[in-house]
Amino acid sequence: MSNTERVKKANISLVVPQADDAKATATVATPEVPSSAVPTPAVTETAVPPAEIGALKMRPLLERITRDQIITALLACLSIGALFLFWYLGTKYKLEFYIRFKNVPTPYDVFRQAIEVASSTKFLVNVAYSVKRIMFGFAIAIAIGVPLGLMIGKYRRVSDFFMPAVEIMRPIPAIAWVPMSIMLWPNNESAIVFITFIGAFFPILLNTIHGVHSMDGVLIRAGRCLGAGEVRLFWNVILPGSLPHIFTGLAVGMGVAWVSLIAAEMISGQFGVGYYTWEAYSLVNYPAIVLGMITIGILGLICSGLIRLCGFFMMPWLAFAPGSKK
Amino acid sequence: MNSVQKGLIDVHDMGVVFGANDNEVIAVKDVNLNVQPGEFVSLIGPSGCGKSTILSIVAGFVKPTSGKASVDGMPITKPGSDRGVVFQQYSLFPWLSVRKNVEFGLKMAGVPQGKRNITARELLDLAGLLSFENHYPDQLSGGMKQRIGIVRALATSPQVLLMDEPFGALDTQTRVVMQEILTNIWQQFRISVLFITHDIEESIFLSDRIYVMTARPGRIKAEIKVPLPRPRTAEMTDTPEFISLVHQLKGLIREESLAAMGPEIKSRGLTGFGMNVGPKGVGQIF
Repeated sequence: MSNTERVKKANISLVVPQADDAKATATVATPEVPSSAVPTPAVTETAVPPAEIGALKMRPLLERITRDQIITALLACLSIGALFLFWYLGTKYKLEFYIRFKNVPTPYDVFRQAIEVASSTKFLVNVAYSVKRIMFGFAIAIAIGVPLGLMIGKYRRVSDFFMPAVEIMRPIPAIAWVPMSIMLWPNNESAIVFITFIGAFFPILLNTIHGVHSMDGVLIRAGRCLGAGEVRLFWNVILPGSLPHIFTGLAVGMGVAWVSLIAAEMISGQFGVGYYTWEAYSLVNYPAIVLGMITIGILGLICSGLIRLCGFFMMPWLAFAPGSKK
Repeated sequence: MNSVQKGLIDVHDMGVVFGANDNEVIAVKDVNLNVQPGEFVSLIGPSGCGKSTILSIVAGFVKPTSGKASVDGMPITKPGSDRGVVFQQYSLFPWLSVRKNVEFGLKMAGVPQGKRNITARELLDLAGLLSFENHYPDQLSGGMKQRIGIVRALATSPQVLLMDEPFGALDTQTRVVMQEILTNIWQQFRISVLFITHDIEESIFLSDRIYVMTARPGRIKAEIKVPLPRPRTAEMTDTPEFISLVHQLKGLIREESLAAMGPEIKSRGLTGFGMNVGPKGVGQIF
């Protein structure tokens, strides 16, 4: 998959909340190494000898930090700083022009709330519940979505059978599943995991299918010629060939899973960060609302970061794929 | 490595029709050809004449509509590692290192890791790319990728090697070097080769025999023996024998290339379109 495609994909997925995740994976291909240190993809016969690449890996981390990266880090600080400044000024001067900062807690209020919840395990239990639900829902979505996607992508008849159902189910947002889910599942916990699963499932499934479809057919033919039977072809050619798209699906799916989870927790939950946030609103504990929101943001960031990290380690070759550096 | 007796490709009265009813296209018609064990045979013809279709049939990707194709008397039903294929597009698996790519066929054949490793390294050494064994394909140049493509196809010790315009995407200089490398490898392995190309010089330089195909529907128009001695060297391309073969083939191909352009161009000739066709012929312009 070229980067242009990847970026296009990321843009398309902007309709999905937390599409940043998609963008995050979009750049999985580019490792955080200064461009000067990456061996140029050899255009000529004189590719970088392996010894030299080894030497680059050996160099201490500090030496590899370039001016370029310092600027990147500064801009990142500036970006988050500006957000805080707006919040701080808004709450300090009780800004009121259409949006109202009257009841919005100040950063300091939220900080105090954070200190307060840190003294008991209650908040941590909420976080643990949310993480557990995400893990289960997401794992089940991968376990079903990836194999099914590979089969649908590869076999026309499997596609003919599953796709009509998939196309009908897909537009139903996971949140719309909440009432049905409560009726369907024996307890609250499985209902919430189910909603999380629904959120993650479709992006993973569709991206996996797309991954199989966009694979260069010559690779499949090459695999066949080299003696790969059907099962081995799946395992050794189709799966690794679709992996970049699968990871795009995982990143988007993780974003949607969080959206679905929080919504489900707000409506039907006991425990969980979404529940905490909604409860805070009911109890007129405004700083806790913001704390809940920030916690959700950080958890989402960690989850998509983990996916990116997995992608980086599972697909080291993407660093050299055409278009991975612009 | 291979016994010289094996590797007989036989294509008998073969025809291929794509599509159905109104959209029916006769790609190949009444094709008879063979490659003797250890022989290097080229198939040359204008674009779209079905030469790649013939290779696809021998490789086992496409089933012929009529006729038979066999290797060593065994009818071809599906792709298999007894026939190595080198594709026109780069077909190395980008997620595998160079060495793992070469090992792929052996892995599929159930050869243990240690043995695979040794064979792959030997082959990479032969291709002059042993120092790149741990690189990924995307780190290499086109010529390097194709060299690896060739040794990867040879790793499972196939009886025949099928090559579909393998150097088509390379620049002229690299091409010439690759042709010499290929002749060397072929002489070491003594394997039958069916080589598809539209490059006349390339086919003469490499082959023992050349089949010339007509424009669609593709048929065998002529069979030409290349009497040049082996080993072939780059200097041979300047000898009168070589040049006269080039002229002979150019004449045959030019006619077909014009036919491939459609009946109008065939009757009028290209000058009617304000084009000046040089001695290199039409094929090279388009």
